[in-house]
Amino acid sequence: MSSTIVYLLAASAVFGIGAYGLIVADHLMRKLLALNVMGSAVFVFILTVAGVTPEGPDPVAQALVLTGIVIAVAATAFALALMVRMHEETGLTSLTGDDDDD
Amino acid sequence: MSVGVLVDVMLALALVGLSLRVVTGRALFRDMVLFILFGLVISLSWSRLGAPDLALAEAAIGAGLTGALMLMAYRRLVEGGAEDSPGRRRSFLALPVGVLSGALVAVIGFAALGVERVPGAAGTLVLEELPGTGLGNAVTGVLLVFRGLDTMLEMTVLLVALLGAWAVLGEARPGRLHQVDRDTPLVAALLTSVSPLTLLIAVHLLLAGTDSPGGAFQAGAVLTGCGVLLVLTGTLRPAVAAGLVTKLLVIAGLTAFVLIGAGALAFGRPTMALPGTWAVYLIETAMMLSIAVTMTLLFARSRGLYPERR
Repeated sequence: MSSTIVYLLAASAVFGIGAYGLIVADHLMRKLLALNVMGSAVFVFILTVAGVTPEGPDPVAQALVLTGIVIAVAATAFALALMVRMHEETGLTSLTGDDDDD
Repeated sequence: MSVGVLVDVMLALALVGLSLRVVTGRALFRDMVLFILFGLVISLSWSRLGAPDLALAEAAIGAGLTGALMLMAYRRLVEGGAEDSPGRRRSFLALPVGVLSGALVAVIGFAALGVERVPGAAGTLVLEELPGTGLGNAVTGVLLVFRGLDTMLEMTVLLVALLGAWAVLGEARPGRLHQVDRDTPLVAALLTSVSPLTLLIAVHLLLAGTDSPGGAFQAGAVLTGCGVLLVLTGTLRPAVAAGLVTKLLVIAGLTAFVLIGAGALAFGRPTMALPGTWAVYLIETAMMLSIAVTMTLLFARSRGLYPERR
C-alpha cells in the first residue's frame, strides 16, 4: 500500500466530515471551521491525484494548491468580518434565528 | 509495512480524528485550537507528500494565519456579549446528513482507490522549461512565470477580501482591543527579539523562494505574524482611516504585477512575460508587503495602522 492511497482515503473521510459539519453545525464559527476542513481535504486530494514528476508532485498542481490556500484564508477573513458585523447588528452567532444564549 | 507508510497512516488517522473533533466537538474555543493543530498535521502531510513549499505555506497561512484570524474574531464575539465557548446544539438534520456524508465518503474513497499516478504532463514541461527562467524552484516558476495571470488574480482576490471587510466594518471603532501591558519585561523582550527575527525569516523565505522552498506567500505570512504581534502589544494601533502609505502598500503587489506584466507589451512580448529574474524579485517583494499589510489589517479589523508614540 503506497502512502498516496493513505492520504487519498484520509482526504475522502475528512471531506465527508467537513460536509457534515457545514450542514449540521449551528454556530457560524463552526461552519467556517468545517468549510476550512473541507478545503484542506480538497487540497490534499488535488495533490495526491495530480501527476508525478521526478522532482515530486506536479509543480503546476502545487502552485494551484498554494493559490488555493491563500484564497481560502482571504475568504475566511471576509467571512469572519461578516460574522462579527452580523453579531454586532443582531446579537446572533447562528443562522437559525434563536438567541445565542439559550 | 515500512516506517514511512506507518508515519503516513498515523498522520492520516490524526487528520480524520482531528477533523471529527473540530466539526462535532462540544467546546468551540477548544475546537478552534484543534483546528490549528489540524493545519499543522496537514502541513506535515505536505512534507510527506514531497511538497515542502506547501508545507511552509500551510504552517504559516493555513494553520497560523487562519487560526489567528479566527481566535481574534472569536474574542470580538465574546467581547460583544456572545456566549463563551458555546456547546453544540442537536440538529434534526444530524442523522440524515450523517448517513449521506458517510455515503459521500464511501463514493469518493471508492473512486480514490482506482486512481493511478501518471507522469504529470504539465509538470514535466515546467521542469524542462525551468532552466530558461533563471529560477530553481519549479513552484515559484509556475506562480510567477508560467501562470503569472493566476497569481495576479490571486492578489486581486486578497485585495477584494480586504475591501469587502472594510465595507462591512460599519462605523470605525478602533482601539477597542484589549492591550497587553507593555511595561512588563517579558513583552518588551518578546518584541525586541521576535520582531527582527520574523523580518529576517520573511526576507530569507522571499529570497530563498526562487531556488528552494519558500516564496512571497510564505514570507508574507511570516511578516503578518510580526504585524499581529505589533498589533496585539499595541505598538501598532488601529486607525480610523487608511493613510496613503497603507493604501499604496495594499495595492503594491497587484500594481507591480500589472505594470510589469502589461509593460511587456510595449517591448513586443506577450502579456505577463517577465523580463528577467529581477522582475520576479520585484513582484515577489511587492506581493510580500501587500500580503503582510492586508492580512494585518484584516486581523486588526481596521482601515489603517499607526505606530504608537511613547
